[in-house]
Parts: sequence; structure tokens; C-alpha cells
Amino acid sequence: MYKLFLKIATRYLLKNKLYSFINIFGLAIGIASFVLIMIYIKNERSYDKFEGSENVYRAYMDYLVGDTFEAGDAMTYNASGPSLKQEFPEVLDYVRFYYFEKVTFVLGDNIFEQPMGSLADASYFNIFKYPLLKGTKETVLKDPNTVVLSETLARKLFGSEDPFQKTVSAFWDGTEVVLTVTGVMPDPPQNIHFKNNFLISFNTENTWGIFNEHQLKPNWNMNNYYTYIKTASNTNAAQLRQKIIDSDIEEDTEERHNIEPIEDIHLYSNKPYEVEANGSITRIKFLSAIAFIILILSWLNYINLSTTKSLERAKETGIRKVSGAQRPELMMQSLVESILLNMVAIVIALVLTLVLLPLYNNYTGKNLSLEWADIESFLPIFGFILFGMVLAGLYPAIVLSSYSPAKALKGKIKTSTGGLNVRKGLIVAQFLATIILLVGTIVVTKQINFLQNQPIGTNLNQIIALHGEVVSKEVDSLVISKYNVLESELENLSFVKNVAIAQTYPGDSFDNLSSSRGVTLPNGDVDNNNVFYSYHVRPDYFNLVGIEFLAGHTFIPTAAKNYNQVVVNEAFLRLHNITSVNEILGKNLKFWGNSDWQVTGIIKDYHHFGSKRAVLPMIIRNQYDVYNLLIKLDDTAISESGFTNSINQIEKKWNEIFPRSSFNYTFLDKKFQAQYNDDKAFGIAFQVFTLLAILIASLGLFGLTSYTVVQRKKEIGVRKVNGASVAGIMKLLNQDFVKWIALAFIIAVPISLYAMNKWLEGFAYKTNISWWVFALAGIVALAIALLTVSWQSFKAAMANPVESLKEE
Amino acid sequence: MLLQLNNIFKWVNSGGQRVFLLKDINLEVEEGEFISIMGPSGSGKSTLLNVIGMLDAFDEGEYNFMDESVHTLKEKHRANLYKQYIGFVFQAYHLIDELTVYENLEMPLLYKNMKSSERKAVVADMLDRFNIVGKKDLFPTQLSGGQQQLVGVARALIGKPKLILADEPTGNLNSQQGEEIMEIFKQLNSEGVTVIQVTHSEKNAGYGSRIINLLDGRKIEG
Ligand SMILES: Nc1ncnc2c1ncn2[C@@H]1O[C@H](COP(=O)(O)OP(=O)(O)OP(=O)(O)O)[C@@H](O)[C@H]1O
Ligand SMILES: [Mg+2]
Repeated sequence: MYKLFLKIATRYLLKNKLYSFINIFGLAIGIASFVLIMIYIKNERSYDKFEGSENVYRAYMDYLVGDTFEAGDAMTYNASGPSLKQEFPEVLDYVRFYYFEKVTFVLGDNIFEQPMGSLADASYFNIFKYPLLKGTKETVLKDPNTVVLSETLARKLFGSEDPFQKTVSAFWDGTEVVLTVTGVMPDPPQNIHFKNNFLISFNTENTWGIFNEHQLKPNWNMNNYYTYIKTASNTNAAQLRQKIIDSDIEEDTEERHNIEPIEDIHLYSNKPYEVEANGSITRIKFLSAIAFIILILSWLNYINLSTTKSLERAKETGIRKVSGAQRPELMMQSLVESILLNMVAIVIALVLTLVLLPLYNNYTGKNLSLEWADIESFLPIFGFILFGMVLAGLYPAIVLSSYSPAKALKGKIKTSTGGLNVRKGLIVAQFLATIILLVGTIVVTKQINFLQNQPIGTNLNQIIALHGEVVSKEVDSLVISKYNVLESELENLSFVKNVAIAQTYPGDSFDNLSSSRGVTLPNGDVDNNNVFYSYHVRPDYFNLVGIEFLAGHTFIPTAAKNYNQVVVNEAFLRLHNITSVNEILGKNLKFWGNSDWQVTGIIKDYHHFGSKRAVLPMIIRNQYDVYNLLIKLDDTAISESGFTNSINQIEKKWNEIFPRSSFNYTFLDKKFQAQYNDDKAFGIAFQVFTLLAILIASLGLFGLTSYTVVQRKKEIGVRKVNGASVAGIMKLLNQDFVKWIALAFIIAVPISLYAMNKWLEGFAYKTNISWWVFALAGIVALAIALLTVSWQSFKAAMANPVESLKEE
Repeated sequence: MLLQLNNIFKWVNSGGQRVFLLKDINLEVEEGEFISIMGPSGSGKSTLLNVIGMLDAFDEGEYNFMDESVHTLKEKHRANLYKQYIGFVFQAYHLIDELTVYENLEMPLLYKNMKSSERKAVVADMLDRFNIVGKKDLFPTQLSGGQQQLVGVARALIGKPKLILADEPTGNLNSQQGEEIMEIFKQLNSEGVTVIQVTHSEKNAGYGSRIINLLDGRKIEG
């Protein structure tokens, strides 16, 4: 019997091509969108899962802000790990990382910068149960001056040779260490938050010389370490957390230690000094909502179309009943059709997914895939799709099988008011979803524009930052004087406007910015509560990046003790309730145990981290150190000489002065904009999926109207014969839809207002959701609906009435 | 006795008023009869036929079909009853457009859960009997009206029913095609199948052994 069902279904679908196309296409889009989003979400949720990861926690610092503690720093002290292990028996082990954004490896003439690696305790492989390709987990990181390389890095350094026990030089901050390779590990997977391309044994810090004696001792002063702890498997995490919060291992009331599960970091943590920019659970929630909305929309479409269409098939149903078919058989027939349709849609959806994934990966730099190997983990997703499609097939099946045969055989059945209401309800639901998504898209787009157009207080155009590593055994002062030469030579280039040296710059990571507490204001007030952020630059810096002064001026290099000069920002003044610049300008601050930091200027607030974060209170110091060489290029000169050519000239100068070095550069404006990448990607996802949702909804509407118009052909003909105008007929056919959309709009406004306010909570600076956002969404929805409907009703209204009446 | 209707009433409510479609119908049909139902348009002929065929419910009265009291049966049992004993022929043929002639004939057998080999034999037999073997792979829309009705009759007969109900079976056919169908009915009747047909044609009514006249839902004697 199923063979017959299948046969009828296939022939029916082939015969009604438009209907089948709309249905299958709508479903395929819905399923493909759903699967794509689910693949993404699954990946986002898969972060930091390894054997025993459920017992691994990251320790971090809470800071006292006012009178509550807030998550203040993802980093901890070098004493944190050992103390936690000693104080709490539940803590079985700890591993500390000192993270390097990059280290320069030197092997003979092979000099290159390798990003992302750490000093790590020997316990690393005891806690992070990642595989090791060469070496012994227990001992690889035990001895000083040893390193474990990622496979790729090992190949970069040693080619096809066995790297085991070979030595390589590493430079950081101009300081060299010679490391022996004791292990090779696989490249870090994409779904861990802490990606290390190399691990250097922690005790190498004693021999490397990048820290001073004071910093090497276990201390509570320098919180530059990431600490992860492993707890006994029966530990009550909430209890341990409370104990750690309550304990005062550090004996400091202004801050406290806290812990969080490593598995939660990627989606739930967004603290200062994260290893990498994490994901966001809000985004995940929104995307899941969108995924479900789209999928459900396509099912509603299916239900609506097939129910409407089933009226046309009343006769067939009647014949079946008369021939002895009973309800279960009729429902099975309808379900078989639904499943057939959905199967075709699923196949198309999978093809779409496979085609779109590489595009998506290309765009986001992710590496998502749909592989047979992990098909098992997608089973729930497919289960859900299957469940939905049975459910979606059920309603038309019930409607279809409920006709009494005598009535059904009379041919066209007038829809019962109940059925009509259901279908109206479905249309309203579709438009409700569409309008909500439209409002969402508009708000997200508006917010991203708002962020990008927010005055950031700097001008980062045409500035590049050079940050190569000088690989020489020269003393620091010699390197610094060479930098001086380089600076003046670069300034002499025709296309260079200005050069300055800075520890960090707007849009750079937290890494090169120090956070501290404890400052004494000129009036003698001591603030030990609030964190301030600090970095050092040369006097030209402010002018070069376009930071403006509210009062005072930049550092004066000729002044005695010029290295004790500082500049503070408005946020710093606000924090300490300083209302008049005179209270601080020219006066001395006390911090870091130094009593005479003289304030030479107050700068207007600028965004160091983009406008997602509020402006942080800053103290910028005058210090000569070789970090980033910022170069402001001249627009017109660059356009004349060509960009590549200019960069080549800069590189040439660099190499002349530092023959043994690495060379690389960054565009400041690009790097700054990159901070919005995740939000932009989210915005694009929102736009794309809204577009798809609208497409699905209009397909449904198109199908539905083409059917109702056919049904009302005779009515239209009669009306026209009796003098109705084309406009009048169109109004007749369109007015229903306008009512439904109005209803959908009224319901959509509060829901979308609530949802989008939730989303905006994640931003320090938010755009406002003005009334026109809703108006626009409503008008777009209405316009799309009317266009779709009018296409059909216009045709009907224009038809020759004699023709349409004759057909009956 | 094949079936018996006692004091059957059927009505619909329209504007708060009862509109009677069937009024106090009493009817006994013996096995082997050939009955024609006649009456003006709107008199309730189709309604009565549908009630007899259990395709439509009635509001009052008793209906016994082969010693089963239909009025007390659940829908499922009623469906089982007519599926087993009754074949329907319609004015508009009512073939399924998506199925070939062969498949249309096979369909009722599927709902009887007949084995595939048996089905093949039965359908082949029927195709043979109606001389439509050559048409078995065509779809209904590819046939003439007369041919479609032949298939319709064949389908009604395929389950070997005791009773054939035909609602204006020749209404859409020309006279020659109509005659052909009526001859088939006559032949069937002589083989022992009971036939009840609705017709407007005196000539067609003449094929039967008894005529029932309806007016405004009421049976008029005469
Ligand atoms: N569901 C219904 N609701 C209201 N009235 C109905 C319904 N079904 C049938 N009728 C009415 O019942 C009456 C009898 O209808 P029926 O179809 O039985 O007539 P008929 O004798 O077969 O006529 P015809 O010769 O035109 O086929 C008609 O007046 C019809 O309008
Ligand atoms: Mg009739």
C-alpha cells in the first residue's frame, strides 16, 4: 500500500509543479538555515572539552568596584596556583601559563615570529589531556629551557628532520633563550580558547632573563599568569567556589580569587585580559532563536499550503473513502506525502549546506564541517527535523481525512471557519516572525553603524605599527639608540608624516596594557579600590594618533625627570570626582611606590577598545622602550609612490639597521575595526537569515494567494460583470492581508522591543530603538506582502470575466 | 432482505429552522432487485442514495443492512460494512486523476488488504471483462467519458459487492454510451447483484424492476 501512496504522492507533486517547488524550496531553505546555524552553535558549544575537562577550572580575579566585586581580570598571580593547591584539598593540581602573543624563533638564518605560546608548568599534560606526538607527558616540561612545539611549528623550524632534542633560539622583548625540543604536540584545535603553538617549561623563566628577581619570586604583585586548576572528580564546584571567594589567600580585601569552569569560558566569559576574544552566549541564544524561527516558518508554510491544497483534493479523498479507505490510511497517505516532500527538501538542504559551509568558513575564518564521523552528534538535530515534519504533515492529514465522503465528493469543499482561522493564524504567525526578524536586523545594523560611527577620539587612518623583533645580542641601550636612528631616517622619507614609539595603541589587545590599583591623588586622597590602566609612549604619540588634549600638553622630553611625566584621561578624572583640571594639572600622582609622577596633560576620552567597552581610566607614562614603531603615512604621497613601494622602502630601512630581525606591520584602523568583526558577522547572519525568512514567508503567501485567487475566480468574474473596477477587486483581495499584517505587527512590537533591548545590554554604548525602526519593519513587511499578493490579484482582476465565468 | 429503512429523517439547520432533506422514508430492498429512484432536481435522490450507501448520516429512524443496524454502528464499522458489500458509481465518474486505469481498479483491493498476486488476477479479470486491457496504463484524463464510466463501474464491481449504488451514472454520457452502461447493470442484476440507481431518464428507469419516486424528500406512492 505504501508503494501506492508513494506513487500518488510523486505523481501529485510532479503534476503540481509550482506548489511542490514552493513547498520544497521553502522547506529546504528552512532546513539548510537550521542545520548551518546548528553546526555553528555546536562548534561554539564544543570549546574546551577534553578528558576530565569537567573538573578543570580557570582561576581569575574579582575586583572590588564600589562595594561589589566584579570579574576584573582573567589573569592571576604566580602565587595563585600553588596557594590554591595548598589551601584546598579539592584542588589536585594547577598549571600556570605566562602567555606570549608572539615569540621570535631563530634557527640559523631562519628568523620568524610565531604567535601564541606560553611558559607552562610541567603539570600541563596532567590537566589538559591533549595528546603528545613525541616525548613523555610527565617529563616534557620538567627541565628549564625545554620546549614542546606544535607539529606545524616543528616543521617550520626543522622541516622533515626529527626535532627531538634539537635546540632553537627564542627571542622575546629582545632577550634570547636557547631551548631544547623535548616534545611535539598536534596543532591546537580550533575549538579551544587557549591556543598554544609552543609550550616552554615554566622554570625557564629563571634562566631567560625576561623577569627580574623580584618578579620571579612567588608574589601577589604581578598578575600576569593564567592559572587553571584540576579538582577531584567528586568536588562540589559551587562549594569550592564559595570557599575560594570567602578565603583570603592573598590577604587583600580589594580583590579576591574566583574560579569558573573551563568549558564555560568561551561562551560566558568576557573579562579584561582574555587569551582570545571569546564567543558570546547572547549571540548563541539569538542565533538559536533565529534557527528555530526559520525552521518553524518553513513548516508553517508547508502546513498552510498543503492544507489549502488539500481542499482541492477533497474529491480524491472522497473517492478513497468510498473505495473503503479509512482514516488511518488516509492520514498515512498524507504523511507519506509530507515525508516525501521533506526528504527531497532535506536532500536539497544538505547539498545547500555542503555548498554554503566552505563559503561561510572562508568568510569567518572558521573551519566548520559536516562530516560522517560526527553525524551521530547531529542525530538530535535531524530527529527534531523529522519530528517537526511529521507534525507538520499531521495537520493537513487530519483536515483531509475528516471530510465526510458525501460532502467531499461534491467537489470543492467550502472551508470550515475553523480551518480558515487556523490558516489565518499561520499567516499571522509567519508575519509575526518576519517582523520580529526585521526589527532585529534593523536594530543590529543600526547598532553596528552606531559603534563604527561613534567618535573614537582618535584618527587611526594611514597609521601602521611596525613590531619586528630584533634578534641580536646587543645591549638594550644600543638597540634603543639604533631605534632613534631608524626613527629619524623614517621621518625623512617623503611619504612619512610622523613617527612615534608606543607600548600599545588603540585597538591592540589588553596584553600590553597594565592594570593596577592604588593611586594617591594630589589632594592626598588614596584610592586603593579602583583599577586604572596604564601604558607608556613617546611624546609624539598623542599627536600621531590624533588624541586631543583637554588641558595641558604632552611630555616634555627636555625636562629633568621627564620619565616621570604622565598624562591622564577624562575617565580618570571622572572616576575620582575631579571637576576642575587645575586640581590635577601640573601636580603629582603617587602610584607604583613612586611619589612624583607629574601630570603634564589631560587628554579627552578616546576608545582604546572600540566603543563596545566604556572608556577606561588611563594613566599614560613617558618612557622609551622599543615596542611598536607607529608610522603615520601621508595620503597624497602614498598615492603617488604606491603603497607596496612605500612599505618596501620602510622594510629596507628596517633591515639596514637591524639585519637580524623579523619584520611585520599592522594597519591600526583595520585592527581597530576588527574588534567589531564578530558583531558584524552576527549582523550579516541576521540580515541573511531575515532575508531567507522573508523569502519563505512570501513564497507561502504567493502560493496561498495563487490558490485563493483561483478559487475566487468566479466571484471576481461576477463582480466585474456587475461593474467592479480593477482597483476595487484588488482592494477586495488585498484587504485581508493588510489586516493580518497589522495584527502581526501589534504583537511583534513588544516582543522585538524586549529581545533587542536584551541584546543591546551587552554594549556600553547603545543605539536607541526609535519608533521608526518598528515603522520601517512594518512597512517593509506590508510592502513585501502586498507585492506578493498583488501580483496574483492584479492578474485575477485583469482577467476577462467572460472567460473566467465560462470555465465553471 | 438486503436492507430496510424505517422512518428515516434527515435535516439541516438553516437560519434556526429545520430544513428536511429526507422525510419519513420507508424502504425495503430484497436481494436481486433493480430499483430506480426518480424525482425532480433537489428532491433528495442523491441524499437518499448516500444514506443507503452509508456515506452520509441521517438524523432519525432505523436502517438495517444485512441484519446489522447501521444507525447503532460506529463510523469504522459502517465503513467496513460498505467497503465489503457496496460498490458506488457516480455521474462524474470520480476516478483519481493521479492513478492509471489499472491503479484505479486496484485501489479498493489495497484497502481490503488483498495479496498482490490475487489483486493482479482480479484486476486483470475485470479489465478483460470490460474490454479495457489496452487502456490499463492510461490516466483518466486520457479517456472519453464513456470509457471513464466503464472504469468507474469496473471499480465499483471489483470488490464483488452485493449492492451497486449508481447516482445518475449516465448523466454525462451520450445515449449510446448510456445504453452500454445500462446493459452492464442489467447483466449484473441477472447475475444476482442488487442495483439501485438514480436517474432522470424514463428509459433507463425501465431497465429496473421497481421505481421509487421522491418529491421534497418524501416518497410518493404510485
Ligand atoms: N449539506 C446540505 N445542506 C443544506 N442543504 C442540502 C445539503 N445537501 C443537500 N441539500 C439540499 O437537499 C436537497 C436535496 O439534494 P439532493 O442532492 O439529494 O437532490 P437530488 O434529488 O439529487 O437533485 P439532482 O437531481 O439535482 O441531483 C436540495 O434542495 C439541496 O439543496
Ligand atoms: Mg443528485
